[in-house]
Amino acid sequence: MTAHGDTHEHHEPGLQHQFEDMNQQEESVSIAMWAFLAQEIMFFGGLFTAYLVFRWRFPMAFAAGSNHLDPFWGGLNTLVLIVSSLTMALTVYYAQKGNRTLQVAMIVLTMLFGSVFLGVKAIEYTDKYNHGLVPVTGWNKKVKEDTSAPHVTEQDCTQVGHGDGDDHYVNPKGEFQWKDCSLVKLAQEKNYLTADEKIGYFTNGEIDADKFRDKVRLFYFIYFVMTGLHALHMIIGLGVMLWLLWKAWIGTYGPKYYAPVEISGLYWHFVDIVWIFLFPLLYLLGRHFLH
Amino acid sequence: MLIMQTNSWIPLFPEQASSFAWQVDYLYFYLILVSVGFTIPIVAAIFFFIVKYREREKFATPDEIHGSMVLETVWSIIPFVISMTIFLGGAVVYYTQYRMPEDAMNVYVVGKQWMWKIQHETGQREINELHVPVGRKVKLTMTTEDVLHDFSIPAFRTKADVVPGRFTYLWFEATKPGKYHLYCAEYCGLNHSGMVGYVYVMEQKDYENWLQGNVTGQTPIEQGRDLFENKLGCASCHTGGQQQRGAKLEGIYGKEVSLVGGQKVLVNDEYLRNSILNPGAQVVEGYQPIMPTFKGQVTEEQLLSLVAYIKSLSGVTATTGTPAAAPSPVSTGTDAGSGNTQGGDR
Amino acid sequence: MQDVSAISGNSIPADEPKLNYINNGHTLKSWLLTKDHKRIALMYLLSVSAFFLMGGIYAAFIRLELLTPASDLLETATYNKVFTQHGILMVFFFLIPAIPAILGNFLLPLMIGAKDLALPRINLLSLYIYWIGGIITLWALMKGGVDTGWTFYTPYSTTFSNSYVMAVGIGVFINGFSSILTGLNFIVSIHTMRAPGMTWFRLPLFVWAHYATSLVMILGTPVVAITILLVAIERFARIGIFDPAIGGDPILFQHLFWFYSHPAVYIMILPGMGVISEVIAGFSRKRIFGYEFVAFSSIAIAVFGFLVWGHHMFVSGQSVFAGLVFSFLTMVVAVPSAIKTFNWVATMYKGSISYDTPMLYAIGFLGLFLVGGLTGLFLGSIGLTVHLTDTYFIVAHFHYVMVGGQVIAYLAGIHYWWPKMTGRMYSEFWGKVSAMLVFVGFNLTFFPQFILGYMGMPRRYASYPEELQVLNIFSTAGASVLGIGLLMPVVYLIHSLFYGKKAADNPWMHPGLEWRTSSPPPTENFKEMPVVTWEAYDFGEESGLDIEEARRREAVTV
Repeated sequence: MTAHGDTHEHHEPGLQHQFEDMNQQEESVSIAMWAFLAQEIMFFGGLFTAYLVFRWRFPMAFAAGSNHLDPFWGGLNTLVLIVSSLTMALTVYYAQKGNRTLQVAMIVLTMLFGSVFLGVKAIEYTDKYNHGLVPVTGWNKKVKEDTSAPHVTEQDCTQVGHGDGDDHYVNPKGEFQWKDCSLVKLAQEKNYLTADEKIGYFTNGEIDADKFRDKVRLFYFIYFVMTGLHALHMIIGLGVMLWLLWKAWIGTYGPKYYAPVEISGLYWHFVDIVWIFLFPLLYLLGRHFLH
Repeated sequence: MLIMQTNSWIPLFPEQASSFAWQVDYLYFYLILVSVGFTIPIVAAIFFFIVKYREREKFATPDEIHGSMVLETVWSIIPFVISMTIFLGGAVVYYTQYRMPEDAMNVYVVGKQWMWKIQHETGQREINELHVPVGRKVKLTMTTEDVLHDFSIPAFRTKADVVPGRFTYLWFEATKPGKYHLYCAEYCGLNHSGMVGYVYVMEQKDYENWLQGNVTGQTPIEQGRDLFENKLGCASCHTGGQQQRGAKLEGIYGKEVSLVGGQKVLVNDEYLRNSILNPGAQVVEGYQPIMPTFKGQVTEEQLLSLVAYIKSLSGVTATTGTPAAAPSPVSTGTDAGSGNTQGGDR
Repeated sequence: MQDVSAISGNSIPADEPKLNYINNGHTLKSWLLTKDHKRIALMYLLSVSAFFLMGGIYAAFIRLELLTPASDLLETATYNKVFTQHGILMVFFFLIPAIPAILGNFLLPLMIGAKDLALPRINLLSLYIYWIGGIITLWALMKGGVDTGWTFYTPYSTTFSNSYVMAVGIGVFINGFSSILTGLNFIVSIHTMRAPGMTWFRLPLFVWAHYATSLVMILGTPVVAITILLVAIERFARIGIFDPAIGGDPILFQHLFWFYSHPAVYIMILPGMGVISEVIAGFSRKRIFGYEFVAFSSIAIAVFGFLVWGHHMFVSGQSVFAGLVFSFLTMVVAVPSAIKTFNWVATMYKGSISYDTPMLYAIGFLGLFLVGGLTGLFLGSIGLTVHLTDTYFIVAHFHYVMVGGQVIAYLAGIHYWWPKMTGRMYSEFWGKVSAMLVFVGFNLTFFPQFILGYMGMPRRYASYPEELQVLNIFSTAGASVLGIGLLMPVVYLIHSLFYGKKAADNPWMHPGLEWRTSSPPPTENFKEMPVVTWEAYDFGEESGLDIEEARRREAVTV
């Protein structure tokens, strides 16, 4: 390989040894990226399937969980990502134009927006940690029992006692916490519980707070897996952008050679699009139950 | 007792003992016919070609044949038509197998690692055994306490998965009295291959006798062993060596064992009896409180037999008497604590 | 045309070794950091063979345990781990990568006349991912193994199993990306790297088969990857969507799992079909009968393969209607396989058939695949499969397709291209003996299992009723013959590396591009860019093969 690679004459900058010309190379990397994105769609597809199956079964639990997510942060992130897609597209444009300065500036902006997105995500995750909404036992903040508050007795559900010596905390082991069953009551009154819900939230005809909590926990499980994997894709995207920044800085890309910028852009747009689906599914569906 | 029939040295074909078994078999024979019908001409053609057109000259260049639209069409359509007949046949049989009859007698089945717990409408409970009358439709309503299982009776040509958190159904009408294998056909963990039993198909009269409670001529210890190993399935957890999930029973009678929580208790008749009826109360150290209660499933008579059998494991053969005196000479102490220490990432 | 015959170079190599991909760099680094698809293929060959050997040892233990009705040789706990690990190693680490990663990697660029795959670094990355996934899995097996069955059915795998499910799951998850990247590379290369004149319908059918396989790899593997990841997360977090105790659904796992794992069956058989197309056409010295039909049946299988996953779940409690639809589609997907079989047989008509080792394997494949395919109809017929599923009938059926199909095709391919890969000829005599032994041993092992299955013997049983022992003894006896048959190639192929006759560049005088470069090929594959002016499988003089010269050569050496 080395013998061959070294003796091969390089027609163009960035032309790899296995290709005949730049056209072939660019076509190859472009097809490769599209195929990779097809793979990514299938990857997230499994999760979307799981989401749809359980939302179909337990719409009230999903609405309850969803309503606790703050659409302000979600909306802000959507906006941030859409703008970052614009700056990414401009990066490709300036790479084609051969404008190094603006190219670098746009990459920096894109990375900035990407970081803002992840920062907001961190704020949201912290909120879940503080409210005991991480579905993994032990990964939640232990909450002191609020003995003074009168609303404890006003809870919507028959609350099961939390037992033994550790009664300083409502979740002594950092368990997942969920108490609000008002949506089940609402649905019960208006008679639109699904068949699965009639089994899934009730014990002997009474609303069972623990069983409802488990369904909300399902929502948060799916929420964390989906947004977590999405955030992982963002982090990988930022890594790619860092590499792109360095290559752009040393002036690699111009009108003749900009394929890496283009396919990185494809990837970035794809990650945005996934979020465009995640945002309404996770944050917005179910908000009408608030009013 | 009826005995499993094995007709030949090499068994080729299972007994046909349900109302729709013949349909499944006919479908099977039809498919064998189709298979032979395809295999013989194809294999014959292969042999004919490799002999007739064997290489006569090294690196010859035979005439090119590109293909034939007619042939391609023919051998696309014929397999398609045949496969559709197979599909339709299968659909008809499947419809019979899975459309639940209205007028069936109900039996309830709960799968549990690794036993089948069965309850009749009339209240009888059985473990790993199912007694049914001949010529009556029987509908099983099934679920499981833990993992997936599958209730499979090959002689009836039917099976169905048993799924946690939901009910699945199975029906059959037995046509021939006899004793037939019952298997768990969906892999369910350690003792999967021990989750087996028998279905007894009885004449209506015998079945009624069975419902009244049957009398056997066994000694209490024999009867106890039969209960322990077969009818109640105790053996699925209480034997097996290092991996067994239930407490070791050999050589414990008349000894003190440590319980979860640090107390000690003398193993005597009373303790054994209580542990069968209320297993969670005094669990031997090193074991999980996973044993189900057998209250209501064993008669007092059977309890006595069981206790007698468990005592016999420690070398005590007297069926009565208090063991508080001389400790049993047999064993080298309890093995509690050595089980369930298998590593893992849980 | 002229330059082609120059490339094809029929002369026997001189004693002085030419610079080829094997002797171009001897350091460990030159292998581990290579971007050469041929070297990567060889490293895959070594790794995959090691996994095959391990899986085979597990298989031997399974058959020994089943020699007697009682569970006596192995404790049930051990037996459960042994069959699980046999399945996991064989499916994920042998069957899936065997033909694509070894033969596909080596031959695809040669066949389309390219210097390398389009993405050589990605190709090397896929090998490393395979190694990492493999090492994690092996580590888990050494620590204590896994006992869930290779299907990882929930809730046993998520909640009840005490074994290293998470580690093995992660190993399999990582390994999945190896096949995704391989598939990606193939698709891109077939699209953009074809030599001038190599149109789509001049591609060897091996390439078509790999195109179809790659589609399945890219679209199917991610689904099982995410599914197994979810199982691992569930075990870790002690909660999740497959846990029925809190409203989750264990059947959802089966849907997601089989959505991939059924198409994965085609990942395991389509490349084999590609090899068989090459071998049968080659050793009959005939253009494949109905080229377009064979090519498009591969694509049809890949597409329909995504629609039939539910036929693994006929008794799992899915609705009767769903069962019927899946049964219907299963019948439809049987047709393209039948078309292929008929075309292969028709290819031999009026050919010039030689009985070289690869051809013997290929003929064996035709017989075994026929049985495997026809018993697939038994299992697709929904009323019958209620009785047959989860029994040894299933075990026998998929071994007929996987071993009788893919493994035999793999062996045919290895023998066919061995001279090209290594530059050496193996012992034709021992090759023929091993082909016969494998065929006989295989049938003796697995045919009795059809009968066992109809008798109702459930799979994954460490013990079984005594009346079934005779058939199990047959099966175990057959397995020992099969084992010997499979070990023989290891011996004589390694022997050939040191003592084998030097292979000519085109020992079989076949027209494919891979035969028009030296054996073994140089690192850059071709001295000059080949230009294709002939149709696929053109054995005549017009494709530039110097047959007179080859006959003279034969006369000298014989």
